[in-house]
Amino acid sequence: MYKKKKTGAVGVGITIVILILLVFLSNTNIERLSYIENAFSTLIMPIQNGITTIKNKIAGNSTFFTDINNLKAENEELKEKNSNLEQSLRELESIKAENETLKEAMNLTEKYGEYKTVSGYVINKDISNYSSVLVINVGSKDGVEPNMTVIADKGLVGHVISVTDDTSKVQTIIDSASAVSCTISASEDSIIVKGVLDSTYLKATYIPTNANLVPNDSVETSGLGGIYPKGIHIGTIKEVVNTKNITDRYAEIEPAVDFSKLATVLVITN
Amino acid sequence: MKKKLAIFLICIAFIIIYILQANFFTWFTIAGIKPNLFVIFIVFLGLFGGKYIGIISGVIVGLLLDIFIGKNVGISAIMLGAVAIMARFLNKNFSKDSKLTIILVIILTTITYELGSYIINAFIFSYEISIWNFIRIVSIETLYNVILTIIIYPFMQRVGFSLEDMYKENKILTRYF
Repeated sequence: MYKKKKTGAVGVGITIVILILLVFLSNTNIERLSYIENAFSTLIMPIQNGITTIKNKIAGNSTFFTDINNLKAENEELKEKNSNLEQSLRELESIKAENETLKEAMNLTEKYGEYKTVSGYVINKDISNYSSVLVINVGSKDGVEPNMTVIADKGLVGHVISVTDDTSKVQTIIDSASAVSCTISASEDSIIVKGVLDSTYLKATYIPTNANLVPNDSVETSGLGGIYPKGIHIGTIKEVVNTKNITDRYAEIEPAVDFSKLATVLVITN
Repeated sequence: MKKKLAIFLICIAFIIIYILQANFFTWFTIAGIKPNLFVIFIVFLGLFGGKYIGIISGVIVGLLLDIFIGKNVGISAIMLGAVAIMARFLNKNFSKDSKLTIILVIILTTITYELGSYIINAFIFSYEISIWNFIRIVSIETLYNVILTIIIYPFMQRVGFSLEDMYKENKILTRYF
């Protein structure tokens, strides 16, 4: 026997103390522990930022070895296109100015124009296969607070769950723990959109029995629940799966944002 | 003094593994599935480290991961602690020269870790349970971990034996047969 009785008892004691501590910790709000996160992120952030910059630079250089003659011909072509485009741009700008005055007159604002936003880069993605949490490089110094909504150019990304001075943690809508109250734009039926393990689609549940869902219908946030503002685009219905019981039926929704390539996000700060 | 150096090296190893897992292995994936280097790391510490090194570092690494990228604090800590306890228990029961046993240990610990975290998470955040997806992800992840272990085990063994010498314990007979 290599185990002495005494050390065994000490081991059990330590294990019990650790377990009790863990229970307390797991019940405390993660926001309250942000000072530890702060210290850790100060250590990791510079390296993380550097690696992201290098990655972006390498990704931009894929045309390095292209044939030079092709480039010359392409250059000529592009120059011509460019002059054409410039002309149409001028035309469009005058139309835009006209449009804006008309909008003002009709008291309309742009789609997301009413929100104040802060833009940030994704510097870290989740390390496990089962959840989808992002870390972005804006934090409380930039005015970001927990529960703020995060969007990308094409639609909703998720919401902030904790912040440090320079970084924020974002729980995306494809995370299994996420549930968003939504409406179908065409019919105004309300549904709940949840994330599933297979992150290629979202699952819409609690579909009203009398609702008529059509593939390619657009889905947007309903504004209920207090986190997400109303009217932010989420995605389109890909497929409606009917089950034996009509109350159990669900729909697969294709998210508008491509989360695997997500690099820049906007945080809505008001 | 040597022990302090060992702890310092463990901290450095943690940072390197974190950066690898968060950058390199987010695109170097098998069918979109990442490996879990932390399970390998903690199994290694549990097998070769001193009496409590594996368990303590398992819990601390888990807490750091939870704080830095998790949704809640404590789940990874509990599961990595459990992985370390399993490795510690197996420490005295098998020969560390046999690749087959180390592969079995990695399979067992990876599955335990992922299953445990998934079940706890599913209860806390009321997940939509999708068993088939989970099985698919776990099997690919376990396979990936096994491949990585086969590649780096000779290196792990060499470092591990010097770590084992630092924390001189009475019984390290398994090394010799």
